[in-house]
Order: sequence, then structure tokens, then C-alpha cells
Amino acid sequence: MRRPRFFNLLLIGSGTLLGALILLPILALLLAGWSSGLLHLLGQPQVLQALWVTLLSSLLALPLIFLLGLPSAYGLSRCTGRLRRSLEILLELPMVMPPVVAGLALLLAFGRRGLLGGLLTDIGIRLPFTLGAVVLAIIFVITPFFVRRTVVLFDGIDQKLEEAALLLGATQLQSFLHVTLPVVRRGLFAEGVIALAQGIGLFGVIILFAGNLPGRTQTLSLAIYSAFENDPQQAFGLGALLLLISLLLLGTVHLLAPREGR
Amino acid sequence: MNGLTCRLQYRLEHFELDLDLQVASGVTILLGPNGAGKSSLLRLLAGLGQPDSGKVTLGEHCLYDSNKQIDLPPEQRRIGMVFQDLALFPHLDVIGNIDFGLKMRRIQTGERRQRVQLLLEKLGIEHLASRNVATLSGGERQKVALARTLVTEPQLLLLDEPTAALDPAARGEIRRWLQTILTRLNIPTIMVTHNAEEAAYFRKRVAVMEQGQIVQLGSFHQLLREPGSEFVARFVGVNYILGEVRSEAGKLQFVSCGGSRFLAPFEQVTTGPAFLTVLPWDIALYRELPEGSPRNHLHGEIREVVIIGDRVRITLSREDKLVAEISARGYIALGEPQPGEMFWAVFKAREARIENSDELPY
Repeated sequence: MRRPRFFNLLLIGSGTLLGALILLPILALLLAGWSSGLLHLLGQPQVLQALWVTLLSSLLALPLIFLLGLPSAYGLSRCTGRLRRSLEILLELPMVMPPVVAGLALLLAFGRRGLLGGLLTDIGIRLPFTLGAVVLAIIFVITPFFVRRTVVLFDGIDQKLEEAALLLGATQLQSFLHVTLPVVRRGLFAEGVIALAQGIGLFGVIILFAGNLPGRTQTLSLAIYSAFENDPQQAFGLGALLLLISLLLLGTVHLLAPREGR
Repeated sequence: MNGLTCRLQYRLEHFELDLDLQVASGVTILLGPNGAGKSSLLRLLAGLGQPDSGKVTLGEHCLYDSNKQIDLPPEQRRIGMVFQDLALFPHLDVIGNIDFGLKMRRIQTGERRQRVQLLLEKLGIEHLASRNVATLSGGERQKVALARTLVTEPQLLLLDEPTAALDPAARGEIRRWLQTILTRLNIPTIMVTHNAEEAAYFRKRVAVMEQGQIVQLGSFHQLLREPGSEFVARFVGVNYILGEVRSEAGKLQFVSCGGSRFLAPFEQVTTGPAFLTVLPWDIALYRELPEGSPRNHLHGEIREVVIIGDRVRITLSREDKLVAEISARGYIALGEPQPGEMFWAVFKAREARIENSDELPY
């Protein structure tokens, strides 16, 4: 069946425009980054520090996101009706919160004069402006997204598999560890990588809650912001570096995640 | 006594599951129309759902008792269940699937390997050991699913339509294989089926379930001779005619809803609503009504002719409907009747069985 020719042109035209809109800035950044000496950047101690803080905070946050998110997501996928809808709305709260506002909110909850500030000071924990704050900010923003997506994975599991495991003598925990998780392992891996990529890109929440202290809380995103004010060339180079890391993660997801549909 | 005793009530959407059932060692067929509550019953026995009230004991062990607030979780019930869609673990190979139950019980690797190997040999499926479950045929999957359950040595086996998903060729093979295995095993086994052939194959004990209740319990032969309801009659392929028993001039007579009159032995029957059953192979067909002994007869038009091997099933109807099953030879001798032709269906009074029913004839 042939579609009207005008309509076909419309589809192709808008698709091409969108493609250009996505690819053009990426290309421009990579070109600018290359000319400013991408490899040369990796020799600079501040850059290496920012890279280290970025990777360390994300890698520290990831297991915590899994530890907190997986049971929550599984529990949510077993809920139905009004309870499930309420919990989903609770999850959407941090998702719709502007990152800068999230940073302020975290400060007011865990800061020195925040709601839990006194308690934390008493047991000798000072969160704001530490690597711990970076990790907590990542967990706060990323976990809800992670849970929302992993719930879909758990929803897709045939419940009979878990019932079969129980009838074969597995406890519910055993069934979760030996059947549920392995069955969705590829999807979980992909979600982990996506969480990593999202965490690396955070900016507003970190700068407000953790500050922009080079070597301690300055991630690559914050370093770009600082560099842009003094030395735009440096910022382009860092931007290209961050982009390459993200592309690498995206590639990993698509290499290892299960192919969907088609 | 190592059988299952259960008495339970459970509210379903349209009716209540309410039954009292004893299952001894060996296979008991659970038969019933769609939505009769068969799968719900299996799930309640397995502990995957909780009855509203009742008591379930398996051998010496109490699995559920609403009065004593006992409700063992499924993993402690020692019940093996094979789901209709089998639910093999897709992330494990055949050995991994069979080994699963032993691994969860933290049995040592050496012993596990030995027990799995022994079972594979016993079931004759050693050749499947290292296969990926996704590459197995329907029959092979069925065997692996049963092996996975049997390795945990269950005290009660629940099989939900084990051959329903198979093609006819595999069905026969699996049925024979199942019978051999289950006979040797000799533990209480409940097998749900929709299939009359299957019920005939495991024919000793059949429980019929309708609207959440066990309505008939007996051998397949009894079901065939004395179907207790229209469902059973249809299921086993017996003619079932609703009507009522009337007393006319001191003699009992069965009058169908369609107005036909039939005679029968009338043993233990009173006047009132009743149904008549007659086996299809006890009905003869004639072009002209034969003279002689007083027999039941119905004159009607042939609606359908189905030839199954050397048997021919002919449906004849007028006010009432009768299905006759005759030999292919007899069919040819009658001049190969075709739909639309008028025939007489004749059966002896003593071949008919009449029983009072609760159902009103109109």
C-alpha cells in the first residue's frame, strides 16, 4: 500500500531534521574537543581529579542504588491498585523536582542546620561538601528512575516461575535470588549502566548539596562549568571527554542488553 | 494413611469452592468444565492461595487448618506441582532445572549429582541432561518439568493438564510414559484434564468438579454407565435427555422435554424431573421401524455424520437429539445415510438409564 507522497516527504523531512539536531552539536563538541587537545587534558591533575571524583562517586552510588532500588522495585511490582499508584506518585516526586531544588532540599534535610543535621553531627557525620554528599545526591536523584524502569522488568516475569521455585522448596528470598534476578539479569545490567550514565551527568543537585570543591566534590560536569568561565577551550575538551564516556556506556548497554521487539 | 484429605471453602468470583475430598495413592483424575475451579483447587492445595476455611492434611502432616491457624508455606508442604505451561527456568539448562530443588535444600554437590543422575536414568531422559530448555520439544519439556518436581521426592503430585499443550503424536507417548512413571511412583496424584481420552487412560479414579464442587466420584466406567450430570454425559460422549418421569395408568414412563416417550427399567426412580442416558453404541438405526419387541424409538432427521476410523457417529434429531455410534460395516449396510434423510433410532428399554434430577425439565 502506498501512502500519499506528501505525507511520506513530511515523515522523512522531520526525521532528517531531528537527526541533524541531535548529531550536529555532538559533532561540533567532538571537533572542538579534539582541537583543544583531548589527550593533553588527561595529563592535567585537576582533570584527572575531576574524572576520579566522577567515576568514584558514581561507582560508589551504583551498588547502593541496586541495594535500595531492587527490593523496592520488586515490592512495588507485587503491589496492585491504589497502593501501587500512591507509591508510584511518591517515586515521581524526585523525578519532577528541578535538580537545583533537589539540591536545596537535600541541604535542608541533611545539612548542618537541616532536619537531620543535629543527629548526624552527634554521631560525627558531616555530609555537605564531601564525597558522601555527591554519592547521596546521585542516589536521591537516580534511584527513582532506576526503580521505575526495573519495576517494568519485574512486572514482565511470569509469576509461575517464582511459584515453581517455592514448590521446589525455595524460600521467597531464595526464589528472588536464584530465579527472579537471574531471569532479568540482562535487563538489570542495562539499567545499571544507564543509572551510571545518568549519575555522571548530574550537575545542579551536586553543586548545591556537595559544592564545587576541586579534588573533593568537583565532578567532570562541575569542572566544565568552572572551566567555561575562564577557559572555554578547556571546557570544550572536558565536554568532549564526558561525551565520550557517555557514548561508551551507551555502546555497552546496546552490546549487552537484550534486543527488544522486532 | 499417606493420602491427602482436604475439606475446604474458598470464595471465587461467581461461586464458592466447597469440597471434601480424599485422595489415596495413585492417580486421581480431576475432570470438569472450564472455570469449575480445578486450577484454584490445585493452587490452594499447593499453598499458593489461602482458603477461607477448612483443613488439609497430607499423611500425618497438617498443611492447613483454619481453626488452629496453621498454614504451611508452599516450600514446606512437600507438594510437587507441574504447571500447565510447565514454568521451566529459562536461565538454567536441563540439569540446572532438575537440580534446583536439591540446591535450594542445600544438599551437597556430590549427593545432588548422584540423585539427579539416578532420576534421569529412571525416567529415561539422560540424553537431555545438558540441553538448553529452550531447544526442547513439547514432550521433552514435559518430562523435564516432571523430573524437576520428582527429584524433591514430593508426597503429593499435582499435574495441571499435562498433555494439553502437546501435539496428538506426542500426547500418546507422554501419556504412556506418565502412566509408567506414576504407577511405579505410587504417591497420591491429582491430574487435571479436559480430555476424555486421558480420563479413559487413567480410568480407575475420576473426580468430576462443577461449580466448585465434586459432583461425581468413580471409575471412568461408572461415569460412562451412570453419568451424574449433563457435563459428564457430554464429556464421555453419552446421550443425555432431560425430561420427567410420569405415572400413567399405574405405569412409569419417561417423557422428554421434546415430548418423546421412553421406557426404561425405572429402578429407584420416582415421578418428577429426571434425565435419561443411553450409550451411543447401544442405539441402532433403521430406515423402517422394525416389528417385534417393545423398544424405545425416535424418528428423526440425520443432522451430522462423522466417520472416525471404523466407527461412524450419526446425530439424529427431531424433538430430541440422539447420537448413535455404529460400525462402518453397518453404515454401508444401511446404504450410507446422508444428512437430511429420515431414520429411526431404536434402543432397548433396558439400555436406557433414568435418574431423578434437581434440574427442572422446562
